[in-house]
Amino acid sequence: MKSTERISVALPKGRLLDVILRLLCEADIEMVSYKLQSRRLVFQDKCGHFQFFMLKPIDVPTYVEYGVADVGIVGRDVLLECQANIHQPLDLGVGQCTLAVAGPKGTAQADYRGLSAVRIATKYPRITTEYFTQRGVPVEIIYLSGSVELAPLLGLSERIVDLVSTGRTLAENGLEIIESICNVSARLVVNRASYQVKRPAVTNLIKRLTDVSPKTAYSTPRL
Amino acid sequence: MKTLTQIPLGTQVLFGESARQRRRLEQLIYSVFHRWEYQEVIPPMLDYYDVFSKGMGVESENSMYRFVDREGNLLALRPEFTSLVAKTVATRLQDWPKPLRLCYSGDVLRYETPRGGRQREFVQLGIENIGGERVACDAEVIQVAMESLQRVGIKKFQFNLGEMGFFAGLVDQICLSDQDLITIKKLIDLKDFIGLQDEMERFQLSTQQRKALYSLLHLTGNAQTIDSARRLVSNEKSLLALDNLKALYRELQRRKLAKHVTIDLSEVRGLDYYTGIIFKIYVPDLGFEIGSGGRYDNLLKNFGCDLPSVGFTFFLERLMSVALK
Repeated sequence: MKSTERISVALPKGRLLDVILRLLCEADIEMVSYKLQSRRLVFQDKCGHFQFFMLKPIDVPTYVEYGVADVGIVGRDVLLECQANIHQPLDLGVGQCTLAVAGPKGTAQADYRGLSAVRIATKYPRITTEYFTQRGVPVEIIYLSGSVELAPLLGLSERIVDLVSTGRTLAENGLEIIESICNVSARLVVNRASYQVKRPAVTNLIKRLTDVSPKTAYSTPRL
Repeated sequence: MKTLTQIPLGTQVLFGESARQRRRLEQLIYSVFHRWEYQEVIPPMLDYYDVFSKGMGVESENSMYRFVDREGNLLALRPEFTSLVAKTVATRLQDWPKPLRLCYSGDVLRYETPRGGRQREFVQLGIENIGGERVACDAEVIQVAMESLQRVGIKKFQFNLGEMGFFAGLVDQICLSDQDLITIKKLIDLKDFIGLQDEMERFQLSTQQRKALYSLLHLTGNAQTIDSARRLVSNEKSLLALDNLKALYRELQRRKLAKHVTIDLSEVRGLDYYTGIIFKIYVPDLGFEIGSGGRYDNLLKNFGCDLPSVGFTFFLERLMSVALK
């Protein structure tokens, strides 16, 4: 088991991809013939040590869980929602944002006790349900797959749970953060068997990424 | 009303080549078990719920198929074999010569989400070695597992070896509630360093304790890992666990099996009844472990007979996807 054993990496298309590619570049891992407009989904790196797959973020944990991809990079929000049975050895410290409860401006103190359950529109039904039921708040979850900010505007729900980075999208839609649920950033995930069977190569990748990640990232926690 | 052609989630039918392959694997592996003088035990499909919940721990409660019989007793379909074998030995076979060598093969049921290679009904095939000397029997069951894999054509495999006592010694000092312990185990199991850090903030830990717990995540490798681990702890239980691990590793070296073994002290999850060495079995190109085992010295006590035990099980469906190719 040499550290030159090939590792397959699942990458998320979308908001995180650019910043992840830059990070990989800094770690001296560059993809061959990758073009932004390309419809290709599989790429190699120039040394032939890595193979990359471009996937929808929500599918990254699946590919890694089944071992078709040895490792993957994806936002913590996706991991919390899907609860895949995979290792999460490194937070890359990039793609920072917040998963938050938001509502129409000025409703932070609104009294919803008269309602039997508060309606919450979200792409994250599992996280949202757990967050509120743990606090003893009865909620009705309305699952939406996108444009979640529209829901309170049209009266579909009183609140939303969504990813917030600059807060501009919320503000432009007349919404504000009511409470923060957790911080979200990009994480490296590893298939359980690959972590064991391809240990040198995986550990090498983790080290290279740790070295180039912003100071907020860490794989060995502070004592 | 469901149509009659619909199948319940997590079940499957084997026929043609897959049925033949299942029986062929069972026969080949059984031939290895029998060569080592393991005799078959065929326990019932169900038993009182308490028989399983005692051993498997609070986490497994929701994954059992439970039902109430006509007298109002709570029963369960077997989610594993070890508890049944333990109960049989404790109540009927306690006078047999030690160590008792028993094997089993059959379907078990767990009400889990079918994902990542798990079905709700799957086959376990394994052995239990009961009442014998610790290091020799630990090494024996590992050797039987390795020879079984070789017998079905799997030449490359990795056994990740850990010791529950190491982790238990560490957490004894921290006084965790059951719920907290489950959370910590889960975080270590996922190798979620950050999550562990956040969780640990809540407890008053000394620097040494903190360092030891976080290091768990890195304590994987060859035999030197045991020495590295020794430098991190001072409590007796953890040190004893490391001695056990070292003794077993030496024995495996003596049997020329150590090349397949990796020490992994971050292996903490698994059934609650494990008290000593634990191991998970991996093969290349399969994203899930194909078997697991360990020592469980406190299980038979529950059934009225105190005997140390060790064993392992293969997950046959996963084996089928890589064996005999």
